[in-house]
Amino acid sequence: MTSFWNVTLALLEGFGSTCLIFAATLVFAIPLGLLVTFGSMSRFRPLRWLMRTIVWVVRGTPLMLQLIAIFYGPALLFGIDGFDRVPAVIVAFVINYACYFSEIYRAGIEGVPRGQAEAGQVLGLKKSQVFFHITLIQLIKRIVPPMSNEIITLVKDTSLARIISVTEIILVAQEYTRQGLIWPLFYTGVFYLLFVGVLTLLFRHTEKKLEYIKI
Amino acid sequence: MEFLHVEGFRKQFAGTEVLKDINFDLPKGKILAIIGPSGGGKTTLLRCLNFLETPDEGKVYLDGELLSDAKVSYSQKERREKQLKFGLVFQSFHLFPHLTAIENILLAPNLLAKDRVKEQFKERKKAAKGAARKTLKKEEKQALKKLSAENKRHAEELLNQVGLSEKRDSYPSQLSGGQQQRVAIARALALSPEVLCFDEPTSALDPELTGEVLKVIRALKGRTLIIVTHEMAFAREVADYVLFMTDGVIEERGAPDEVFLHPQKEKTKAFLKHMEEYHDE
Ligand SMILES: Nc1ncnc2c1ncn2[C@@H]1O[C@H](COP(=O)(O)OP(=O)(O)OP(=O)(O)O)[C@@H](O)[C@H]1O
Ligand SMILES: [Mg+2]
Repeated sequence: MTSFWNVTLALLEGFGSTCLIFAATLVFAIPLGLLVTFGSMSRFRPLRWLMRTIVWVVRGTPLMLQLIAIFYGPALLFGIDGFDRVPAVIVAFVINYACYFSEIYRAGIEGVPRGQAEAGQVLGLKKSQVFFHITLIQLIKRIVPPMSNEIITLVKDTSLARIISVTEIILVAQEYTRQGLIWPLFYTGVFYLLFVGVLTLLFRHTEKKLEYIKI
Repeated sequence: MEFLHVEGFRKQFAGTEVLKDINFDLPKGKILAIIGPSGGGKTTLLRCLNFLETPDEGKVYLDGELLSDAKVSYSQKERREKQLKFGLVFQSFHLFPHLTAIENILLAPNLLAKDRVKEQFKERKKAAKGAARKTLKKEEKQALKKLSAENKRHAEELLNQVGLSEKRDSYPSQLSGGQQQRVAIARALALSPEVLCFDEPTSALDPELTGEVLKVIRALKGRTLIIVTHEMAFAREVADYVLFMTDGVIEERGAPDEVFLHPQKEKTKAFLKHMEEYHDE
């Protein structure tokens, strides 16, 4: 008996995977993106080129392809056991999103006027103090809107995990479709909408909190 | 050699010489005004003095001691100590937009206090163990608290000095340009630099706001100041010495009355005449 309640429970379970992929990607990609930014802005040319090439490749190819490469790649190329399914998804998403985030950070850092860091430097601040006490908050203020966009995209990108058979919410719904039940697939939309709704409120709240900074 | 002695500053940007062998002296407590046409290298000179640029060549002596030499590369810590000897007030203020007036003033002194206290306790903390360590930690906290309180009192005094006590908790965006520049001056003074530099402190301001900023600077008489300015009347009034800089060289120098009333060089005469006409418009 595929009652509404049963479907909801099954979808919720799939949605758990969705949330796990989402959360893990954010937790790792947000700091990793910063490292990529520093690399791609480095004065050491080889590092800068390497980082920019990686960013170009990652942003220039479909995430779906990257997923497949990371899951099947190790076995196909070197004949070794690669990642399990869920870790593979998370690795692919983290790398992909770190690269997107890094470009947002870079634009943010370049957008903070040079005079800000110089004013800090003249006041005898160390480089790290300039970053954490002056640049960072102005950077955050600048990147909240583009980051919001990217994070909302991530919510929906998680559905790509089904490509390597991770049972996130869409895959669960597709099982029902195979049994001739269409409506669960559309019902998943409600989950996404609620999730994105909560995120939107959160971002709006953050923007309000930062409104006192006029730049 | 005077209190401040600058020797042989040279600076190139992409092959063009912007500073060509700059030498000058400034006694303690005196005011030096630097005037000259746009692109003459005035800002570059101040930036070199403040370690925002490294000159290609040149030395700075302060109080009889070599402070910096372009040929020597300093560690971040050394540079920071040297940097603190100088202060710079920018043409466009560069207040920190996320901090209130008083927080703008307090940021650097508090961070400095934190680092200095930490440094002071580092060795002793390493040696101490157990309970002794705990006491030391407490002592460290108290030392920092005391310094922060002193900094705060000093910052409030400075705000009062620039006439902005009631704007203590305002953000830069809530202040007029003149008020912002006065906070920026207080911020620079908070670290008690030996030499305070101003880069056209009023040229980003509406004419009716320049007066309040000039008044604050005027009241700093007795400190060692270097003021780059296009306000000829002000330069003549407050300066003890005047440098006329053009094309990266000091073309003429002397007491204000000498330079302004009896300029010797053609370039100086032409510049002063130009400024006069500009002023009359
Ligand atoms: N970072 C830089 N890179 C390249 N050229 C520079 C740089 N900074 C300054 N210059 C050049 O150096 C010359 C001197 O500039 P500077 O800003 O020191 O002049 P200034 O006397 O302060 O002029 P103004 O009165 O317009 O402020 C100018 O020709 C300028 O274009
Ligand atoms: Mg200038």
